[in-house]
Amino acid sequence: MLSAKARIFLLAAAAVLPRAAELSGAQLTAPIASYEISCRLDTDKKTVEGTELITWTNRTSHPATTLQYHLYLNAFRNSRSTFHRESEGRGRAGEPLPESWGSIEVTRMTYSDGTDLLPALTYIAPDDGNRDDRTVAEVTLPRPVAPGETARISIDFRSRLPRVQRRTGWKGDFYMVAQWFPKLGVLQETGWNCHQFHMNSEFFSDFGDYDVSIDLPARYRGKVGATGKQVEERAGNGERVLYRFRQESVHDFAWTADPGYLVRRDFFREAGLGDVELILLLQPEHASQAERHFRAAKAGLSGFGRVLGGYPYGTLTIVDPPWGGTAAGGMEYPTLITAGTHLVAPANVHDPEGVVVHEFGHQYFYGMLASNEFEEPYLDEGFNQYMTARVLKTAYGPNHAFVSFFGFRFPLGIDLFYPVDENRRFFAVATSDLHAQKSWGFRSRTSYGGSTYSHTALALATLENMIGTNVMDRCLRLYFERWRFRHPTLPDFIAAVNEVTGRDWTWFFDRTFRSSNDTDYAVEEVRSTPAKPPRGLFEKDGRLSEGPQPELAKARGWDSVALVTRRGGVVLPVDVLLRFEGGKTYRSVWDGAARWKRFRVESGPRLLEAIVDPDEKIALDSDRTNNGRRSRGDPRAATRWTSRSVFWAQNFLDALTVVW
Amino acid sequence: MTAAAVSSRSSLACLGRGIRLSLSKPYLAVSLWLIQLLLASVLILPVSNTLHELLDDSPAASRMVANPDYGWWETLLRVHPDLLGNFPKLLTGMLTPEGVTSSELGEARGIGAVTLALAMLAVVLHAFALGGIFGTLREPQGSLVTFGREGMRRFPAFLTFTLASFAAAIAAYRWVWLETGRALRDRVLLLDSERQAMAVTAARLLLLILVLAAIKLATDSVRAIWVARPDLPPVSRFFAGIAAALARPLRLLGVLFWACLATAGLYVIWLVADPSAGGEARFALVPLILTQQVFVFLRLLLKVGYYAGISEALTRTPSPEYSYVAAPAVSAPPPPDDEPALERPAGAV
Repeated sequence: MLSAKARIFLLAAAAVLPRAAELSGAQLTAPIASYEISCRLDTDKKTVEGTELITWTNRTSHPATTLQYHLYLNAFRNSRSTFHRESEGRGRAGEPLPESWGSIEVTRMTYSDGTDLLPALTYIAPDDGNRDDRTVAEVTLPRPVAPGETARISIDFRSRLPRVQRRTGWKGDFYMVAQWFPKLGVLQETGWNCHQFHMNSEFFSDFGDYDVSIDLPARYRGKVGATGKQVEERAGNGERVLYRFRQESVHDFAWTADPGYLVRRDFFREAGLGDVELILLLQPEHASQAERHFRAAKAGLSGFGRVLGGYPYGTLTIVDPPWGGTAAGGMEYPTLITAGTHLVAPANVHDPEGVVVHEFGHQYFYGMLASNEFEEPYLDEGFNQYMTARVLKTAYGPNHAFVSFFGFRFPLGIDLFYPVDENRRFFAVATSDLHAQKSWGFRSRTSYGGSTYSHTALALATLENMIGTNVMDRCLRLYFERWRFRHPTLPDFIAAVNEVTGRDWTWFFDRTFRSSNDTDYAVEEVRSTPAKPPRGLFEKDGRLSEGPQPELAKARGWDSVALVTRRGGVVLPVDVLLRFEGGKTYRSVWDGAARWKRFRVESGPRLLEAIVDPDEKIALDSDRTNNGRRSRGDPRAATRWTSRSVFWAQNFLDALTVVW
Repeated sequence: MTAAAVSSRSSLACLGRGIRLSLSKPYLAVSLWLIQLLLASVLILPVSNTLHELLDDSPAASRMVANPDYGWWETLLRVHPDLLGNFPKLLTGMLTPEGVTSSELGEARGIGAVTLALAMLAVVLHAFALGGIFGTLREPQGSLVTFGREGMRRFPAFLTFTLASFAAAIAAYRWVWLETGRALRDRVLLLDSERQAMAVTAARLLLLILVLAAIKLATDSVRAIWVARPDLPPVSRFFAGIAAALARPLRLLGVLFWACLATAGLYVIWLVADPSAGGEARFALVPLILTQQVFVFLRLLLKVGYYAGISEALTRTPSPEYSYVAAPAVSAPPPPDDEPALERPAGAV
């Protein structure tokens, strides 16, 4: 019989061992779609030619008679593609896309039994019926793949890369090779989920193991980064070099090469979170910012890890795209993220840091949870935006640098200023679109960004304020642990919240995520007048007589009124605070259901002010300037700002006449 | 020309004499200050009313006195879009390669639209004020009456110069900044590094500044000569002004450079001291307003000093080559005694 100490040791070891296995980077989930790829980069033609072997297992309960797969690079084939039509030839920041076209051609496709599948290949457009769009293809299989059965398909393909646009392409000798190989969609119980490449959409794929060999010119030796761990480097034929990368339990693979990269390495180690090798591929002119990138990556690994769970992969590669290649920046792929910085990047602005933390956060929501970004983009971008703000606040403080100019304060690097930047983005489009919808269904890119990123972040911040940070962390943890590698949807997160809190919060998500109403509470009236003695007929010694009892005849204190209104369509319970002279306060929770509620206090101390949502719990409140009102005005601030404005205007008018 | 003469007419000395002149006639700066204050007040009154309406009864007011709350301002501009309209975007858009389009100007609303209208009014008043300033600077015993009289007297000509200069500056902005930006956009992106791209942008900006400086100096030179040489016909005065600028480009550029440097110095002092940013403890309301207006007044004194400096640089020692003043009579040398007098031929008239 084992001693008590030995039993405890074994129990502890049993608890720790699976975690250790996870953190070692071994297979974390059963693969569904695995890829073995050998490819060759031709820098003259800007092409990548390759062969891939897809090993796909049907995990549904129905036989599969077809395969659908993405040919993402065809989004850049011509101006008739769905992507080009939706974007009107403009990039993420509205800049015109370069006149450089990309494509992907399948030149051979054979089934494991040798059947040529190429003649059965057709292009489909399940989202918009655009017959010119070639980003989704379908092949009919020679025989159905039964549930649980594994099929193997071998494909030869030729990818022509465009000049960098929408996360992929080349610029000079720099290559960001992403969305570059034929990739299977996701077979669900309802059929194939394989959407076209849209202006706003990102990705959705099944997990698998990737083994990729890349053949490049020798000048790229030591300057290649990719998803996963480098397992081989050897000389190729002629002046070539060959790299091999491998990664289990991921759903995409991207790689990059640039002879100009400065390669820096660091290591993350924190108790309970596993060790991670950090590889930074940095542009030489940003050499002085290497430590800032590493610090941000470590802040992300620690911040996300503490709330959601440890990052299970052994490596994280951070890519700094070159000047002119920034369209490849700010993007996430499994174990590889692209950041982006500038030559002039003041240390207190935290510009590269914000991008690094955000893109790293995608390793959780896009990477491991892997929600359907086509259909529920907010589950990745929005949740990540919310968590990014929290991690940045912990690592770098609540606010960031300001420059003060004539009394006006202008924030530097506005993306870090939470929640003002979220407000700015979201409230401009708050009622434009239903928030929970497909990524290509939004009215505009601005609306997509405001709803998907900012609305979700503000809604989650509101939820956090209502249930408390610790409880929110438990919700997020449960959601992540239960659903990682399983493509969760919004109801799965709601279920996690309900389970942790012990209450049904579906109403909250119905009113926020599944609504296009705005939220605005206001205090519209605050009055406090000296109390008047009661007048009229009162009972005195059993008879009605004029005037109150003597003890009531003398008026005391103040009669006060505060009128709180709900101007927006969203109904949320809200705190109301009344502050009286002498420091007394009265706090109440209003369910917010009606359009208004009047608070009356008779013969009390003088009411100084009323504030709705005094703790600023409702981050979704679109107009916080009307959240409070005082019974007595104070013109000092307005006068002060008026004087500043006059001064500013004088300087502006003078500047106008400098030249002429 | 002696070294002393060169020194006495160096750009810094010209500006120094200009500032002394400006200080000796402070009512010129006062006039400019009043004009700007009135224009600014028209612009800010609606903002002020809105601020009082929103802030006076707001609990945020006490916070806003001491600490400008960016979030509050962001909300204000978002909730009241007609207050500034797209004006901030217009301002920031001016330095982008796309610049500001006429359609964007057409979208101006609220204060933004009023600002555009007042800006045009400011340009017109600027023409009047410069007529007054240049005219009064020539008068040993000037006064506000002189300022008004000279301003009105030269208004048609100065307005023409101002509008021409305005048009030239807009053309320079378009062709030197916007069009080069558009033309080079793709090439700049293909450069190897951001450092190179910044160098290209800096070169474009420098070129724009130089062209704008040339426009300004040419215009100011014409103005100065216009006032200094009433004896010339208008067309001659105009070309004499251009020629004067071409004759002394470095000296004029020097005056402009030192004036800009001094103005920048004033702004640096302001930004470092930052009296606007502090709370009640640092600057109470009245001292704050006084400080602001003293700053504006100092800057305007410097501005008048610049115009006086330009006038000094161009007219203190008239250049003979551009002067229409009759040259001293040259007496003909007496004929040598041994030279016989020419005989008039017969029949000559």
